[in-house]
Amino acid sequence: MSEELIEPVKQLIIDALRIEGMTSSDIETDAPLFGEGLGLDSIDALQLVVAMEKEYGVVVPDAATGAKVFQSVRSMAAHIAEHGK
Amino acid sequence: MNCFMFPGQPLSRSPRLPQDDGWRQIAELCRRHALFDPDSWQWFAVDGTENVALQVYGVAMSLHGARLLKKRGVKPGIVAEHSMGIYPAMALCGSLPEEAVLEITSRGGRAMATMGKSRQYALGCVVGLTLEPLLALAKNHGVYLANRNTDRHFLLAGEELPMEAAMAEALFAGAFSSGTFPCDAPLHTPLMAEVEQKLRTVFADYRYRDPVAPLMNHIDQTYLTGCDLGEFLYRELLLPVQWERTYRALLDAGATNFCEVSGKESLKKYNRWIDSQLQGN
Repeated sequence: MSEELIEPVKQLIIDALRIEGMTSSDIETDAPLFGEGLGLDSIDALQLVVAMEKEYGVVVPDAATGAKVFQSVRSMAAHIAEHGK
Repeated sequence: MNCFMFPGQPLSRSPRLPQDDGWRQIAELCRRHALFDPDSWQWFAVDGTENVALQVYGVAMSLHGARLLKKRGVKPGIVAEHSMGIYPAMALCGSLPEEAVLEITSRGGRAMATMGKSRQYALGCVVGLTLEPLLALAKNHGVYLANRNTDRHFLLAGEELPMEAAMAEALFAGAFSSGTFPCDAPLHTPLMAEVEQKLRTVFADYRYRDPVAPLMNHIDQTYLTGCDLGEFLYRELLLPVQWERTYRALLDAGATNFCEVSGKESLKKYNRWIDSQLQGN
């Protein structure tokens, strides 16, 4: 189930963060989203929290959960698959 | 209409500096007038701190960005500034020459840094809380709101230990993230009055021309004149940056294309959040 969400999650990242000049194929599924990977920060993370809730009804309740969920595209997809409505 | 936005002090330096002639000229102006070399990251003959180095570096990067935009023929219909972004904004608007902007950043920064010799201060970034609980916990800990960037992105400032306690409470209260950064002085708080005389002495040494493009201030979103600037440079250090209000005022003024004049995209990210909130309402 979470494998099917990989591409939509990549697109959600691109759309929510208004990343210009990038397609889903440019985002590595297992690369870190923060720091060395896609280079996201806490401002981006909150934007993704809201986008995930709007698109999938999934809540990221606290910072500790957020740290696990936003490790990679795969972990985001897994969280949505587990908690999505 | 193009809006050029000048962000405040960066929290870190980029591992790679520009390599073009424009940067080499800006770096030379830094060495001569700010007494700081952004290439070797060293001060000359003055007691500069890492924080002031970051302030000068941030201004230098924005001056370089402004030169690149000018070279490409991009012109601003309106100019906005956030915190220390007022310094390169003044250069772009012709209120002060580039060398004076670098000098005043260095002198002002070093005057502010004297506060850090007697006390340890910190900035605290809080993401996710709304304003009301944030102000309550700031009051509890005797620290201050320094930036209201969006309805969920804030910066607090104050003494280091209370700041750390405030950040911990922010997380407990449901913030998505919080963290402190050491700083020389609690910018944008009333505590800055401690160095009023030193700062006023620095700011009084310059003659500010009227901006050639409309320059919106981040406190009350009015347009600054040459006569306002000396006082504004001091006043803005005592009051919180109101970026959300500023961005909304820029939209109301007709700005449609926002260029962040630096190597980073912090203001664009705040704007993106504000846009998403506006679209949701």
